[in-house]
Amino acid sequence: MKKTLLVALTVGATATANMVMAADMDPEKSRQQFVDYFKAKSPSIEFNDYGNGTYNYDADKMLQWQAAEEFPPYLDFIDAGEALWEKDKAVYENCFGEDVTKVRVMYPRFNEKTQQVETLEGQINQCRTDAKLKPFKWKKGDIANLSGYLAYQARGQKINVKIESEAAKKAFLAGQEYFVKPRGQFGLSCAECHVYNAGRRARGNILGPALGHTSHVPMYRAKWKALGTLHRRYEGCDKNMRVVPAKVQGETYKNLEFFQAYMSNGIEINGPGYRE
Amino acid sequence: MLKKPMKHLLTVLAMTTAMVSAPTVATAAEKNASNIEQGKELAFSRSKGNCLACHAIPGGTIPGNIGPALIAMKLRFPEKSDLFDKIWGKPEKTVPYSMMPQFGHSGVLTDAEINKIVDFLYEL
Ligand code: HEC
Ligand code: HEC
Repeated sequence: MKKTLLVALTVGATATANMVMAADMDPEKSRQQFVDYFKAKSPSIEFNDYGNGTYNYDADKMLQWQAAEEFPPYLDFIDAGEALWEKDKAVYENCFGEDVTKVRVMYPRFNEKTQQVETLEGQINQCRTDAKLKPFKWKKGDIANLSGYLAYQARGQKINVKIESEAAKKAFLAGQEYFVKPRGQFGLSCAECHVYNAGRRARGNILGPALGHTSHVPMYRAKWKALGTLHRRYEGCDKNMRVVPAKVQGETYKNLEFFQAYMSNGIEINGPGYRE
Repeated sequence: MLKKPMKHLLTVLAMTTAMVSAPTVATAAEKNASNIEQGKELAFSRSKGNCLACHAIPGGTIPGNIGPALIAMKLRFPEKSDLFDKIWGKPEKTVPYSMMPQFGHSGVLTDAEINKIVDFLYEL
């Protein structure tokens, strides 16, 4: 039997993904079922609109959000990111090429040599340390601003993550397992909030769909008053689940990002996105 | 709502006076009233039950709608112990793939706390 996301979801956590051979698993089928699931759940939401997250589920909030995106509070941060690029331009061009519009869309990707998932933020710091520059701090500040600048330059291109080896499949599977496995005091999983209950309210917050989760990263949050990385958000959700978060830019979150981005393949990059 | 120390004092007073006059009856009634009030606090508190995250409950503000509204609990659970078991998370009362936490099983709430929440919900 092909092990897909929905099979994993319906079988539940008892049959953990570990027991499944990567060879038996077809990420593309997982993705198709995932897209079909959201289509069946909300037939009126267009595929590409999943890049707009939770705002799809509430017309009033969608209007407020569109107004916020017209005079986006994150433009200063993008400018700061551009200045960072210009400052060490030679170094970055050596790592990422000369076309700033083509960087965001390369990541996340599976590096067959190191057998690891590479993320944009991870590679920015790798690039800096290789050039004997000080790495940025993870999660916010310079790293998020530079990442935000590169996302902004890439707007309109589609997420296009490739899985071309057994090892890459394994990384995808590890991310999927983290996504569906109930954890913590409440026995919650990411999937419970962002798949099954997407569109419902947890107190005042509407739970957004996991489809499109990576389209608009790093995100600007009104709560943060700044840009923050996807892994910063992962950490926040893990804490809300009363789970000890994994390490930012560690293997677990990198695999999770790889899985989430693959599942969002085909959705246009619209980062950085404004969120509450 | 009365402030905690004040309420505590009143309860203690009520209980001591009750003890002197009519021990059993008055104590039980008074105890139940304070259980209901404490149950409400536990159910609404974000760090304890946080039931409002998922359920509409009369008297609570900005509820979520992940679970059903908690109303007419006596009709839904004619046996009080069934309601306790549901909140505690006894296996026979859990619904597959439900987000409803197993509050007793996971140790988030003590049995005494769940009993107070049951007393509160049973009035709704
Ligand atoms: C108890 C519910 C809950 C759980 C469990 C949960 N989240 Fe969230 N998450 C939220 C809420 C509420 C938000 C804010 C509204 C939104 O954008 O969905 C959010 C936001 C996010 C966002 C930002 C979405 C955006 O459009 O910017 C990401 C990404 C995310 N969560 C990923 C995860 C991952 C991965 C997990 C598991 C490790 C997880 N969440 C677990 C409730 C939850
Ligand atoms: C994270 C979400 C969540 C939280 C927090 C939560 N519940 Fe639930 N609850 C649910 C869901 C979903 C259901 C429906 C499925 C089921 O019965 O498990 C439910 C069902 C119930 C039911 C059964 C209702 C019926 O008519 O069958 C009761 C009673 C209940 N919850 C009480 C509580 C109490 C009391 C608390 C707080 C101490 C609480 N819940 C907290 C999600 C939650």
